Order: sequence, then structure tokens, then C-alpha cells
Amino acid sequence: MTANFIYFSIFLASVATYCCRAFGIFSAKNVSVDSAIFQWIKCISVGIISAVIAKIILFPAGLLAETSFSSRLFSTGVAIAIYFLFKKNVLLSIFVSTMTFFFINFYI
Amino acid sequence: MINWLSFTNGIRHAVGIPVIGLGTSMFAFGAYLKSSGFDLLQSLSSTLFTFALPGQFVMAETIVAGGTFLNIFLAVLLTNARLYPMTVNLIPIIRHPHYPKWKYYCLAHVIAVTAWFNMIAVHKKLPQEDKFDYFLGLGGFLWMSSVVCTVLGYLVSNLVSHEILVGFVFINPIYFLIMTLSNLEEKKLIFSIITGAILSVILFHYIPDWSVLIGGLVAGTLGFIIFRKETYDS
Repeated sequence: MTANFIYFSIFLASVATYCCRAFGIFSAKNVSVDSAIFQWIKCISVGIISAVIAKIILFPAGLLAETSFSSRLFSTGVAIAIYFLFKKNVLLSIFVSTMTFFFINFYI
Repeated sequence: MINWLSFTNGIRHAVGIPVIGLGTSMFAFGAYLKSSGFDLLQSLSSTLFTFALPGQFVMAETIVAGGTFLNIFLAVLLTNARLYPMTVNLIPIIRHPHYPKWKYYCLAHVIAVTAWFNMIAVHKKLPQEDKFDYFLGLGGFLWMSSVVCTVLGYLVSNLVSHEILVGFVFINPIYFLIMTLSNLEEKKLIFSIITGAILSVILFHYIPDWSVLIGGLVAGTLGFIIFRKETYDS
């Protein structure tokens, strides 16, 4: 794993990522907010984002893979419950959920 | 010329929960890169030039696992492909004839989930001519703060316990989840979100690399078709 190998990998990752964004700009030129395709793309966007979240929480790689499946699932449930119980308080739901996750994994 | 008021309003929007939601994970990413043998400049470059966390993690993991350049390119492309529909969705919202085409290609670099969700949440309250600069402030600030947090994570990871780093990584998906929940206003979106999550879990057992894209694509298309009437009403 030489320095040049890593730099070129970062370059490739950046190109791959920017391609997705630039191709999106190109494709959007004939899309208006009133069109059906705009609504379709919106549905796909949130569908993919929720699929990403589900994958990260249920089948994580990296640091989260060290934690228990049940702790991640339970803490996610806590986040959803707090969010709806406390008038959609974003900060409170993230804080309580993360603390729950933290204590289940490292102190219980 | 930039409309500085809109630009700074965008920055003010980013300061607070959006920066915490993204910054903590970037901090943990910086620490992860250090433990994986990357140097400081490489860590900084990753966030500066890529700025899409799941793809950055995939890149680092593929390098550590001994992947080839082709492996890295395809893995990141697949992971960050969600940015394509998000961009197609965002551009019509912020478009204004005042801005030349090349500016959109520059702005594209700061399109990521956190900025996207936050822009979608407020865009109806903003005048059309202000949206471009507002998003530039919002996304640009998140981008720059992510670079700083990655560097901080790299530099001070020795001072932070492993347990806290793990906790930091968990904040990001939970923040994305809460942002997603805040979008549960239209039936077609509720359907797409729930079905996307379920399909990705099912498909992961059969086609792990493609589960997110195919799951989201199918869920969004079904949501759009089933609630087509709502689409035209809204």
C-alpha cells in the first residue's frame, strides 16, 4: 500500500463520485418540478437513501460491525419512538438513541 | 455574483444539528483512516475531493482489503450512485436562469445526503432566485466542516476512546433516519421509504453489492406508480 497507490485510489473515488453528481446535473436539464419524472426521481431518491440507512444499521461494515445487531436495532427503534413522542425533536431523538446504543454496547 | 445574504442564511442553516450529524461521522472517519495507515494529507484529500462518506469508507476498506483500482472505482461508483437521482431531483428545485450551466457543475460537488435533505425541507419557503446561493452556503459549509472534522479526527483520535468513536459513527445513520422520517408527508414517499428499507434487507442476502440501488429503485418506482394520483394532485 504505497502513498501513490492511495492517492490514485482517492482520485478514482473522487472521479466515480463526481460522475454521479455531474451526470445528475446533465440529466436534470429537461426535468421541471411540475413533471411526473421529477416526482418519480424523488421517490427513487428517498427509496435509495432509506435502503442505505437500513444497510448501514443492519449490515454495517467498519466500526459499527463490532457492535451487536440487537443494540443497533433497539437504538434505531428508540430514535423513531423519541422522534414521534417528543414533537419531532431531532436533537433529542439522536442524543437518546446514540446514548442508548453506547450504553448497551459498552456498559451492559 | 453571489447573493451573500442567501449564502450566509444557508451557512446558518448548516450550523447546528446538520454539522453535528455529519461532522461526528467525519471525525470518526478521520480516526479510522489513521488506524488504517493513511497519512494526514491523504485523509484530508479524501473528504476534500470525494465528500460522500459511505463511498469514502468503501474506498478505504477496499484499499485495506487489497483491492485493485478497478475494484475501488466500481465499489465507490455503486455506493455513491444514489447521488445521481438526488442531483436530478435537486437541480430543478434550485434552478434559476440567472446562473450559467458551469456553476451547477461546480455546485454539484457539495450535493450529499445531509445538504440534500436539509434543502428539500426548506426550499418551499425560499424565493427561487435565492435557492442556488442558499444551497451553496448550506452544502459548502457542510463540505468544509467535514474536511476540518476529518483532520481533527485524524489528529486527536488518540485522545478519544474507541467506544466514543463507535458511538460517533452511529450518529450519522440515525441522523439520516430522522431526516427521512421528517419527509413522511406524502403517501408515495412513505411507501418508497418503508419498501426501500425492506427490499434492501431482503436483497442483501442475494445481491449484497446491488441491494441498495435495486431496492431503492424498485421501491421508488412502485411508490410512484401506486400513488400516481397523489403525484398529480401534489
